[in-house]
Amino acid sequence: MTATTIVPEARSASATLRRNFWRGVWRVMKRKPSRMLGVVIMAGFAFMGIFGPMLYPDRLPRDTNALYAAPSWAHPFGTDFEGTDVLALVVTGSRYVLLTGLVTAVITVVLGAGIGLFAGFRRGRWDSVLMRITDMKLTIPGLPLLLVLSTIWKFTSAIEMGLVLGLLGWGGVARAVRSQTLSLRERGFVEAARGLGLSTTHIIGRELLPSMAPYIAMNMLIAVTGAVYAQVGLFFLGVLPFEANNWGVMLNLAVFGGGALTTTAALPYLLAPLLAILLLTLGIVLVVDAMDEIFNPRLREE
Amino acid sequence: MSVTDQRAPGVRISDLSVVYRTQAGELPAVRGVDLELMPGTITGVVGESGSGKSTLALSMLNAVQPPGRISSGSVEIDGLGDVVALRGDDLRKTRGRHVGYVFQAAQNSLNPLKTIGKQLLDLGRSHDVDDLPGLVKEARSLLDRMGLDGARVLDSYQHELSGGMRQRVGIMLALVLNAHVVVLDEPTTALDMITQATILRIIREVHEERGLTTLVITHDLGVVAEIADRLAVMYGGRLVEQGPTREVLGAPRHPYTRGLLQAIPRLVGDIDEARALPGRPPTLSTVPPDGCVFRERCAVRMDVCETGEPPVLTIGPRVVACHAAGDGESQKETVTTGPTRGEEQA
Amino acid sequence: MTLIGVPGRSGGIAVVRRLAGHLARGLVMILVVTTISFLIIRNIPGDPMAAKYEKLVEQGMSPEAAQQAVNVLYGFMPTGSMWQQYLDYMKGLAHFDLGQSLTVPGTGVGTVLMSAAKWTLIPVLAGTLLSFLVGIILGVYAAIKRQGKLGDLLAISGSLLHGVPQYVLALLLGAIFTTLIPILPAGGTADIMFEPGLNAGYIGSLIQHATLPVVTYALASYGGWILAMKSSVVTVLGDDFILAAELRGMKRSIIFRYIARNAILPLFTILALSLGMLFGGAIFIERIFNYPGLGLMLIDSITGRDYALMGGAFLLITVAIIIANIAADLLYTVIDPRVRSGGEAA
Repeated sequence: MTATTIVPEARSASATLRRNFWRGVWRVMKRKPSRMLGVVIMAGFAFMGIFGPMLYPDRLPRDTNALYAAPSWAHPFGTDFEGTDVLALVVTGSRYVLLTGLVTAVITVVLGAGIGLFAGFRRGRWDSVLMRITDMKLTIPGLPLLLVLSTIWKFTSAIEMGLVLGLLGWGGVARAVRSQTLSLRERGFVEAARGLGLSTTHIIGRELLPSMAPYIAMNMLIAVTGAVYAQVGLFFLGVLPFEANNWGVMLNLAVFGGGALTTTAALPYLLAPLLAILLLTLGIVLVVDAMDEIFNPRLREE
Repeated sequence: MSVTDQRAPGVRISDLSVVYRTQAGELPAVRGVDLELMPGTITGVVGESGSGKSTLALSMLNAVQPPGRISSGSVEIDGLGDVVALRGDDLRKTRGRHVGYVFQAAQNSLNPLKTIGKQLLDLGRSHDVDDLPGLVKEARSLLDRMGLDGARVLDSYQHELSGGMRQRVGIMLALVLNAHVVVLDEPTTALDMITQATILRIIREVHEERGLTTLVITHDLGVVAEIADRLAVMYGGRLVEQGPTREVLGAPRHPYTRGLLQAIPRLVGDIDEARALPGRPPTLSTVPPDGCVFRERCAVRMDVCETGEPPVLTIGPRVVACHAAGDGESQKETVTTGPTRGEEQA
Repeated sequence: MTLIGVPGRSGGIAVVRRLAGHLARGLVMILVVTTISFLIIRNIPGDPMAAKYEKLVEQGMSPEAAQQAVNVLYGFMPTGSMWQQYLDYMKGLAHFDLGQSLTVPGTGVGTVLMSAAKWTLIPVLAGTLLSFLVGIILGVYAAIKRQGKLGDLLAISGSLLHGVPQYVLALLLGAIFTTLIPILPAGGTADIMFEPGLNAGYIGSLIQHATLPVVTYALASYGGWILAMKSSVVTVLGDDFILAAELRGMKRSIIFRYIARNAILPLFTILALSLGMLFGGAIFIERIFNYPGLGLMLIDSITGRDYALMGGAFLLITVAIIIANIAADLLYTVIDPRVRSGGEAA
């Protein structure tokens, strides 16, 4: 094949990709209803994070006559050690959790995609230096590092927490985006666009990014779960200041205060935030599964 | 067990059709192919990518990969019967022992984690060879015969061999169990010119020494011209023309064959004389279901080509399927109707 | 052109070079981690080091003696420039002097860590091994049955287990097996009624107490293995050499071995990363099941303001990950001949 036949192909490729993308999304979604469920769950959590806290007063009411109350109509998940409704705690606590997740995901994806694109696009020395750093970051144990950092940094705001988690978490995305960039380069995408006299920004913004968009979106979702787990875990371990309506603190108090692993009284208090985390995971896994199929045609084989 | 004087088997492919299951239903990749491989000859099948030639090659071993399947027809091999009807262990033992298959050189047809020798032993065990040392000896002598250091190659991993060496290993593995029908799929693609020439010479020599019936699949007319006794041209899943190589190349009757020949740039003469065929070869979904598959790109297209299946004309040793080929000098030749439909219009 | 020769085998040199690279990277990582520890110990709000020093002086110790005592505790003098402190700290580490533990007074941090390490290492390795075996077997199955319901179910269960953080699994398992159906102990390494040693009661109790941690480790990493193995097998199934083996009539059992070995290969790099992740997960699991390993030690050192111990635990976990990386790489070298000869990895 000569150069003249490659060029129009590459040009139309990204446009076709975009057009086919939404059609493909719809088809993949339709094929398995569970994927729709995933989208619904995620929309539900977004709603909870944005509007949930508005439904409750700033200071949640306490019912001192019902400490560790069993689940009932008034308290679907019972009450905690001071008689506060557990469901209310979960709902009001969701904003911090989800906001952190969002901030982390944005930072992870922007940094990861930026560094990955740069390394894959420039190749050569920049590439090897950046990838060395990435590798190193990937091998430094993240959670112990966070714990150690928590001795001097208290993560009081969700944004602050998201920032730290994002700065620690971009390694995987950078690696993945880099290898995607390299493989697109190999397919002659970039050279063809160069041949057409397109600028680097155009090539990256219009040709490379769109074809990687579903992949990056997928990684963004995975980053959200990672951030949720990490922060809930940090609060659960009890190395950070307590705040009653935080999922991680709830878990901590249920296990180490309420003895949920030895008596059944505090069990609903323990299960409510766990259930929330599991549901969020399920939603994200289902959506990622769908995206995986959209992105990776190899798994699509009829 | 080196050179046997056992007569090479003949192979008759009749009315072979292969379909692929897609979202748009089952689409034909090979349609109504009739082809006879004469005992002891080399037959070359030429076609562009997507013409169904590789599918045809896999059909020889009843190994069309899902979502494809052989929907009709038979592949009769002397002494074996219809390969299409074989199932299970009988089919497996036919592959390798009776029909050898050599992969495209560019593809990695060897397990990257095992030495060639170990894979040879796996092959022997698969086919219940009792005399494994004998098998190794045979393999070594075959490799030596092809100009390699057999002992050393058997001790090597795939990544330690060059493309030409891998291809010879592929030929060795296809022949070491004493198969007498050999299918070579693009045997020289992705090799440099000198290696290409060597491999072709080896194929020709080994073919003669061992008394084989050989099918070579290629997109390169040059390869066929060099080694094939007979030539079959495929387009859009159909055999459009076949006959003795010299005759077909010397006086092509199908417009597609003529187009292919004109597209070859000559070493001597004006480069502008080489004219590429206009348009693109059809894909599975764009092959027209009725009429002539080549009409979109044909220079001598007629109205009848839209609807009528081209008649299959047998002219001496040659066969051509074209509405236009029947005109002119050869009205006296026998005219047989197309195998799938009878709406032939003369 | 026939005997180009087998490319040289510089196996040994390549391995040494890779090992040297790993060690160099490991050293840099250790440097980074210890520097972080140093900076944190020195910059902790409330300056515990100065507080300790002042307390000792208040108790009537001479300033010099108090300085020495604090030096023993933290590895560097409370007075002096930051660079001097840093160099002292690093010098101490180079002599494997990690300072003194506060929580276990009079004991070196190294000794405390070593006694904790076994409670992390053995359950983590047992859990990893268990999940690796089960995960890859089910992963192959999920790949082969990927069109069916069962394959879907395996993949989804894998994604869920892979997605759920270890502490959620640990808490759920704990809630089920220690609270709802109290058949397993909620914490500790063994019942205190048994005399530690080689007696049946103690060992039984050890196993009973280790069950929940090990099962949690296994479940947490099982999802990752099944997913990785599935996609790896799907990739290998599409490789040419599998089709080639089929066309040579290889036995199914042999082809299965080809697939398995090639598919497992890339998983060894994941093994290294997953061991690292498990050490992180150990923090949660040990905290939840009150299991006295390195993770619990790290948390206790942070809540107990035992900063020398904290730095030591962080360092040891990092070193463990570096060692896991090197071990995985060596394993990789043993089973992949391409890496062995310095060529490209799969």
